[in-house]
Amino acid sequence: MNAGRTGQPGPQGGDMPGGSAARDPEQAALERRYQRLLRCYPLSHREIHREEMLGVLLATARPGQRTPGLGQTVNLAACGLAIRARRVLSWLAGPWQDALAVVSLITPVLMLIIAALDFAVAVREAVALHQSLPEAVPFWQPGLVPLLGGPAAVMTGWLAVVLLGLTGRARPAAAVASIPLVLALANLLAEVMQLTGAWSGGLPLFLVTTGAGPVVVASLAACSLAFSAGPRRGLAIAGRRRAWLMIAGLSAGFGFPAVVQLANPSAPLAGPALSLLGVVAIAVAVVVTRVRSTAGWRVAVLVAAGLPLDLASIPFAGALAATVVLLLGNLLFALLVWPVAIASWRGRARRASRAG
Amino acid sequence: MQEPTFLILTALAAGPQHGYGIITDAERTSGGATRLQTGTLYMALDRLRSAGLVEPDREEVADGRLRRYYRLTDEGATVLAAETERRRASAAVAAQRLTARLAGGTA
Repeated sequence: MNAGRTGQPGPQGGDMPGGSAARDPEQAALERRYQRLLRCYPLSHREIHREEMLGVLLATARPGQRTPGLGQTVNLAACGLAIRARRVLSWLAGPWQDALAVVSLITPVLMLIIAALDFAVAVREAVALHQSLPEAVPFWQPGLVPLLGGPAAVMTGWLAVVLLGLTGRARPAAAVASIPLVLALANLLAEVMQLTGAWSGGLPLFLVTTGAGPVVVASLAACSLAFSAGPRRGLAIAGRRRAWLMIAGLSAGFGFPAVVQLANPSAPLAGPALSLLGVVAIAVAVVVTRVRSTAGWRVAVLVAAGLPLDLASIPFAGALAATVVLLLGNLLFALLVWPVAIASWRGRARRASRAG
Repeated sequence: MQEPTFLILTALAAGPQHGYGIITDAERTSGGATRLQTGTLYMALDRLRSAGLVEPDREEVADGRLRRYYRLTDEGATVLAAETERRRASAAVAAQRLTARLAGGTA
């Protein structure tokens, strides 16, 4: 820091020509056009620099000039928009990067727990099916392979993602996570097409058994692993205890239907009260974990935004239009987190290079 | 470091300066080769300010319009010194090779 104002105006601090000449009509017209162009700049920048920029623009104008000219118009617009973009990037860079790192820690574990619960439900269904058969047949039938194999493969995939992430290999983890994500997206699209009548065929069995997980969480897992400092940094930010609390609360919320189905297969899964319980479980997790954490509410926003969409589709199962809207909402959110994550990642790189 | 940035920091190395003063100084320093556009200047100032290389100095009113002066921070001076050294080194290499090339004809 410089102490005090040591500076004299530089030796070349010449007078600005044209200051008082702004009163004549030609300069007044030019000034109005410059003012309009300056709207490309963000308000925070304009509030501070509008006056001085106008002064410089008029000082550098040719005598009798009435319009800014193409080159200068493009330059002012481009620079104004570049400053706007920079503001957005630096806003996304700091705390959102921290939030994404935490998300890259908790969402793969969450997906693993959900996949394990789904697998348990599939095993239970298979056992129940076997018991209901009148004849004594061996348990292992070829027909079981897609029913149990799909959930088993998804579970193994997420286990690999968690292990890769925790051992510091975030990019390979993202690549593995993108496989169940694509399956979940395809399943969602197929469901929407089926509901809207765009496609009359049944859903392929492998999609039903592998793509049933919450697509928003899967998308968050893949993009946060690809575009953040990774799960280890997330663990350092959140702390071990808070990370476990988040995972426990979120898996309680997201895994609720599966847990209920495991405990009591005949439970009415479509009950709105059930989804409400899930929402409450997640809300509690979010409230508990955001305490004293600067990135906390951002983690909450990222993870919890997909949740009402995911759970609300259960009570609306009867209403076709509402279900389609909710499924599309899921899809939209799952896709929108990617540009946010990429912008945040690029902003972080820019910030780091500027500091260096 | 890009040319406009180098010229802006060089202009402020002489002392605090306002926007128009930076433009005229940069033009003179570059031997008339670079005439900074106002948009380019203020975009660079915005970036240099958030990087802590430049800071606002004082404000004056001239002809009923506000003029803001900017000054180089100590960090900005360090960065400019490093860039100057880098440019000096590469210019020295170029000069050395050009000398060798001229001498090569006779030796």
